[in-house]
Amino acid sequence: MRRLLDRLLFATCGATALLVCALLIGVVFVIAQRGAPAMSWTFLTEQIRQVGAQGGIFFNLVGTVILITTALVVCTPVAIGLALLERVYVRSERWRRSLGVFLYTLNGLPSIVFGIFGFIVFVKWLGWGKSWLSGGILLGMMILPTVTVALIERMKALPSRYVQAAAALGLKQSQIIWSVILPQTRSGLLTGSLLGMARAAGETAPIMFTATIFAGATQPHGVKESPVLSLPYHIFILAQDSFDPAVGAKLWGAALVLLALVLLLSGIALPGRLKMHEEANV
Amino acid sequence: MRILKSSSIKSLATCLASLAAATFADAGTLKINGSTTVNLPVAEAAENLRAEKKMDIQVDTQGGSSGGISMLGEGLVQLGMASKHVSADDRAKFPKVTFNEIHIGEDAVALIVAKDVWDGGVHELTKQQVRDIYEGRVTNWKDVGGKAQKIVFLNKEPGRGTWEVFAHWAYGDPKKAPQVSLPEVGGNEETRNKVGSTRGAISQLSSAWADEKKVFALGIKGDDGMAVLPTNENIASHAYPMSRPLFVLTDGEPKGDARVLVDYLLSPAGQALVRKHGYLSLDQLAKPAAGN
Amino acid sequence: MTRFWSIAFSAFAVAFFALLLGIFVVQSIPAWQHSGMGYVTGSRWFFRTHQFGALPMIYGTIVVSGVALLLAAPVGLASAIFTAEYLPRKARLAVKVLIELLAGIPSVIYGLLGILLLRNWIYDLFARFDISSGDTLLTAAVLLAVMILPTVVTLSDDALRGVPGAQRHAARSLGLTRAETICTVSLRQSARGLVSALLLGLGRAIGETIAVFLVVGRQDNNLPERWLSLRPLLESGQTLTTKLGGAEANIAYGDPLHWAAMMGLGLLLLAIVIVTTIGGVWKKVGHDA
Repeated sequence: MRRLLDRLLFATCGATALLVCALLIGVVFVIAQRGAPAMSWTFLTEQIRQVGAQGGIFFNLVGTVILITTALVVCTPVAIGLALLERVYVRSERWRRSLGVFLYTLNGLPSIVFGIFGFIVFVKWLGWGKSWLSGGILLGMMILPTVTVALIERMKALPSRYVQAAAALGLKQSQIIWSVILPQTRSGLLTGSLLGMARAAGETAPIMFTATIFAGATQPHGVKESPVLSLPYHIFILAQDSFDPAVGAKLWGAALVLLALVLLLSGIALPGRLKMHEEANV
Repeated sequence: MRILKSSSIKSLATCLASLAAATFADAGTLKINGSTTVNLPVAEAAENLRAEKKMDIQVDTQGGSSGGISMLGEGLVQLGMASKHVSADDRAKFPKVTFNEIHIGEDAVALIVAKDVWDGGVHELTKQQVRDIYEGRVTNWKDVGGKAQKIVFLNKEPGRGTWEVFAHWAYGDPKKAPQVSLPEVGGNEETRNKVGSTRGAISQLSSAWADEKKVFALGIKGDDGMAVLPTNENIASHAYPMSRPLFVLTDGEPKGDARVLVDYLLSPAGQALVRKHGYLSLDQLAKPAAGN
Repeated sequence: MTRFWSIAFSAFAVAFFALLLGIFVVQSIPAWQHSGMGYVTGSRWFFRTHQFGALPMIYGTIVVSGVALLLAAPVGLASAIFTAEYLPRKARLAVKVLIELLAGIPSVIYGLLGILLLRNWIYDLFARFDISSGDTLLTAAVLLAVMILPTVVTLSDDALRGVPGAQRHAARSLGLTRAETICTVSLRQSARGLVSALLLGLGRAIGETIAVFLVVGRQDNNLPERWLSLRPLLESGQTLTTKLGGAEANIAYGDPLHWAAMMGLGLLLLAIVIVTTIGGVWKKVGHDA
């Protein structure tokens, strides 16, 4: 009887895990299958024509890359600052915990809230109109927790004897940071950045009011009134507003490209991620 | 590697800053926003002009016709697109702007239904029937001549020109339309897609989008009992009541790049684009009779 | 210098979010003044006549995320039990990594699948229940459940792995089967972490906009007469996020009261998400500081 239950639990959990994996792989598969017909070199290097029915998604890709790069640039110094605060400068446990809660809460904030916030501050108050920089800043703050936590985890895993040795050699705190802590935790920053960029690449809500348009933008010039095209917004609009059945394959093609971009960024972060998991279990 | 990273970050930041500082004044871009309906010919015209004359044109469809009007009013774009007239309220909201409606074509709003409704025998409705359905007094197609099937009215989002044209026809004034709680649809593709895949569905949609395969456009039965279908002739002669003008809007007279685009849209090439997307070009419209 | 900049950047982050919160609070004040408590308890939202009752949307948000969690929790938990308790280390890492990769799938893509596949399946599946269309609260809930599955699995797995192996060994050496060990040792010990995983997944579900927007039907004021009725699941609805991401957000800016009402929705959303997330995190952060 007990053995039966044992086997039953094993079977159920195993089946469920299999189901979950199959489900998620199925999602990728469907997109790959429907988007494959649209894939070609021209698709990736041409720009949209005919409201998405013809041409390619080159500038959408460019726009997304611009947005996530800006996000990274904005986010990195703040993430480093927060991580150092949590690991080095703050001594009291209570403050550390509050910081932790702060980061997790940030991570859970709905993206639409960022979008509306950005609309008010960047589009209206600052009068920037739609600008790639607004999108970059908003996305940067959205991915801040991801990057910060990855960095903090890596810092936690740093053997304390490195820091102790440096201190014993007489280095000041700031010197320890710049010559020991930061260089050694580069991989955490890298991993976090990649994961953050992967997340930022797929976000629609923060940028749809503030940074992106559907057609006509190529590269931004200046800050004000310089929107960019983007992959997720393109997909979102076409899902509602396309005009031609011919758009169908292109829509899935764009989805496939976006998915590929996100998986690529997450994939590069894999080795770092694996390492983080290993260390977390030590 | 560490040095590389910090200095590359610094140089990236410098680049961004100089980019920002250097090219602040870029007056060359023509910005357009508005109705998804008008977007089709205008976006293609913009593409052609971009290719031929290297013009810098940005097109967006945020907020539909209302979005086009308000963005033009706020000076965020130079050209608005609308599939409805600029109302007195809109003009009052933006007193500094002189809304100039430039007529580039004509379209009609149709009540489109799913295949099963059409096959069930419902090919036209009277205004009163439409009102009854919209307000929920009639809930089954059998009450208006069809087979027994629940009526699913998918309402166009507020702010869309399509909705306002509908409300204008059904109630005389969009503001007089009763507040209803119906499922909403946004753009043309979403509407057609959802109506086509839902039994008993009806919605408001540009008649150019009724493909007679998945979705069908109903005729409007007038008081004389004659049903008027939204064919090109009926739209041109205004026999079909829910025709609507397609406008591009400017603040005062169009100047510069806006003028170039407007001229193009009014030219034979531009008007061909209007026809290409299923709408009526200006020459297809009947000369308006007195008291139209 | 380093210290200064660290504090400066951190202060920037805090200020940013304080501003975010502050804007929603301040800009929604006119709506609170206009409707008072009726804003939250009112069941009619008609923006043209300035009637602003957010209850149907709060209801929509709760139902959609609640059902999503109800669907995702057992599946996610069972999968996590499998990866944490049964799989050897390498296989576990492989599966975990796979699932985390898939956690990054953008929501607009889920929305696409929802609009083109899921809603038709639900429509056909429930045809005999007199379902009007494929855009229902249930469709949104199912989509969300799939979206939060990776989160739930990963965090639950972490929680379960947090239980020291020694305890498992002790139970096994006392003669308990694997299943019994899991139930009496692992699950009980990691209960806090598991609850936290579920709450964080819930938080994500509550805040999702784009995917839900495309499949929920966006019908206002669809409150059931009886609170626990299951009928609304098969009908279209509206959530706080879909209202904010929809057409009204574009037209509301010109009307101060309408805009304030929209900001009020944002504030409610923020409040719900923050409470849920803090609830999920408080214990967890205390745990592994």
